[in-house]
Amino acid sequence: MIRKHTRRAAKAAFCVSFGVAIVLGGLTAGALSAPKAQPTIKLGSKNFTEEYVLAELYKQALQAKGFKVESKGSLGSSELADTALTSGKINMYPEYTGVIVLDLAHKASPKTADATFRAAKAFEQSRGFTVLNRTPFFDTDSVAVLTSTAAKYGLHTISDIAKFKGTFRYAGYPECPIRITCGLGLTKIYGLKNISFLTIGTIPVTTLIDQHKADGGDIFSTQPELASGKYAVLTDTKHIFGFQNVVPVVSKQLVTQLGPKFSSTVNAVSAKLTVQAMIAMNKAVAIDKKSPAAVASAFLKANGLK
Amino acid sequence: MSGILAGGPVIPNFGTGSHCVTHNDLFCADWVRDNWHGVLEPALVQHIELSAKAVAIGFAIAFVAAVAARRARLVETPFRLFSAFVYTIPSLALFQLLIPITGLTDTTVEIALVGYTLLILFRNILAGLRSVPEDVLESARGMGLTATQILWRIELPLALPSIVAGVRIATVSTISLATIAAFVRPIGLGYPIFIAIGDDIFKTELIAAGVLAVALALVSDVVLVLVQRLLTPWVRARAA
Amino acid sequence: MTGLADTFQPSTFVDAFRFIGDNGWLIWHKTVEQLVLSGSAMGVAIGIAIPLGVWLGHVHRGSFAAINVSNVGRALPSLAVIAIALPFLGVGFWDVLLALVVLAVPLMLTNAYVAVDEVDRDVVEAARGMGMRGRDILLRVELPLALPLLFAGIRTAAVYVVSTATIAAIAGGGGLGDIIVNQASYRLEGVIGAAICVAALAILADFLLGIVQYLVSPRGLRRRPAFEPDLAKAIPLPGP
Repeated sequence: MIRKHTRRAAKAAFCVSFGVAIVLGGLTAGALSAPKAQPTIKLGSKNFTEEYVLAELYKQALQAKGFKVESKGSLGSSELADTALTSGKINMYPEYTGVIVLDLAHKASPKTADATFRAAKAFEQSRGFTVLNRTPFFDTDSVAVLTSTAAKYGLHTISDIAKFKGTFRYAGYPECPIRITCGLGLTKIYGLKNISFLTIGTIPVTTLIDQHKADGGDIFSTQPELASGKYAVLTDTKHIFGFQNVVPVVSKQLVTQLGPKFSSTVNAVSAKLTVQAMIAMNKAVAIDKKSPAAVASAFLKANGLK
Repeated sequence: MSGILAGGPVIPNFGTGSHCVTHNDLFCADWVRDNWHGVLEPALVQHIELSAKAVAIGFAIAFVAAVAARRARLVETPFRLFSAFVYTIPSLALFQLLIPITGLTDTTVEIALVGYTLLILFRNILAGLRSVPEDVLESARGMGLTATQILWRIELPLALPSIVAGVRIATVSTISLATIAAFVRPIGLGYPIFIAIGDDIFKTELIAAGVLAVALALVSDVVLVLVQRLLTPWVRARAA
Repeated sequence: MTGLADTFQPSTFVDAFRFIGDNGWLIWHKTVEQLVLSGSAMGVAIGIAIPLGVWLGHVHRGSFAAINVSNVGRALPSLAVIAIALPFLGVGFWDVLLALVVLAVPLMLTNAYVAVDEVDRDVVEAARGMGMRGRDILLRVELPLALPLLFAGIRTAAVYVVSTATIAAIAGGGGLGDIIVNQASYRLEGVIGAAICVAALAILADFLLGIVQYLVSPRGLRRRPAFEPDLAKAIPLPGP
């Protein structure tokens, strides 16, 4: 039925494919169990442009100084990044001071940026982590609506949303409804009743507003889309958004193990991150579509950090 | 610290995007050219590695299980139930469920992808082995062949068409599922897709990465058809 | 790209069921979204695939097209289709609908074609001898005999569509995937709870369509409905 040479060919083919399977499997296993000599910095980030840029900046600056950095990529929201941190899946990520105090520690917003930084540091230190120096630039969430919507209903401050006819569809990050710096602040502190939340996984707020899936949403003050004039920002008269400087959150153990050179490398980067620098980098990535890695590299080189 | 008294930062010229890119027009060839080496090519290579490893490891496991099931029926039901169970878990969820166990690593992604190949590969390998007529086996035993000899010389060659067909289906579906892996790890062609969605629906990147994923799936399918014909020439000869 | 890293204990599974119980309205709302999306996709896909496949099978033409279109179709990763269509259709319902239709059509087209094409020629000849003409032969002879296999295609496609609809959440299409991609709000138990619901929906769809398949089959051709999609007959797809 089957000629002999065909059978042999089939058998050979089989052996080869099976062998490849085993070898590949073995290689993977080998690569995964490689021993670690020096503690690796497991760097995570949250899931938006500014965080991608920040993670690249710290990563490349550290690598240039010979540290071993493993990029864990984007983890999503602060809540998820925080769980990844406390469960040891990452040991460093850039976070906003106000978010640490208000959303992770669930405390009331301090009155100044300094006080917010101190509160954030105290909270992280109370549980085995610490924060390094904060960046000069600060960033705050704010509420954006289409300029045309603002004009139509006379919206200037967040309280004005009450004047919106019908339900105001508010698009925010998934964690928005449970955050005092977002949805919870709008309903509890501003007492807005005509709000429905559009919790979106991966679609950016500006896209949803553009495509009329949402009436307004959560936007960062350093987001370059704001420069287009398409969106109006509503004033936060009750200061629910707090003070948001960026700090690298790091495990205490890592700081001890890697020594002062680690902290000084990270702090040197943070010191250069002014509002102008951050907006320029965000624009290069979000509008001009340069890769976060290339933008970070150019910035570090220009400032002698790489 | 007074040591860092440095002045303001130097903000280099990052270069501006072309008109096409800054206006998010439908497709900007210049962006693809500029980002081929930095974004698309690595994603494509990672995608191929990810899928190839998953199919290879999945094959090894399914093969051993199928041979065992051929010998002892006791093995079949548990393995079939297990692989069918894995198959019903939505991939978006499975990638997340594994993170607490295997961490934020590529292993997590690889385990999930391997899990999804098992059902198809196990079924097809076992069906292939079972397709060998009893009288053929009987005469082989009559000729004094051992069980191992029967497996390699008779059962496997006869099962090959079914096995290769299974590998083909498993490969194509793994390539598809691997795009979703980018939900938890920044690897593969799904990663530029997720980034582009988050980047105000950046059209060029969506189309470029999407087309690459489709092309990869189609090319793999064609290659496996050719492999199928090369390994099992008698199937076509018989049909002709 | 919500990666995640919740803690994970065996009790998480218990919590997952508690989550389903405590969030009945949310689950119901998202399930309805998932079903509306899947149902619409199946409706469109049936409207395209069945008439075309049946007609091609009836005239015994286009076997190359019917088989190969579906080979090409089944190789397309759903996320890639979603990505490529996003710039044209925007985020939300229509984009995902297209991807699900692309997923479902090939399966049903091939099955419908093969089902009608392979109806015993002698039976068709006999009908012709009795004076039946084209339309009558199709409606009264070929279709009833083709129904079991044709329906197997619909059933398999439905299972794939219902579970793949989960990735709609990535493109703003709603459904149970909204919970699965949002671990920040719903915790790991919510992700698992929603995944259980997706799996249950797929199994339920398979079971119900299995019963329909049994009922529409001519008495002589009835088989006991199997509880899992007939992956051997219909071509398995990049699915979950």
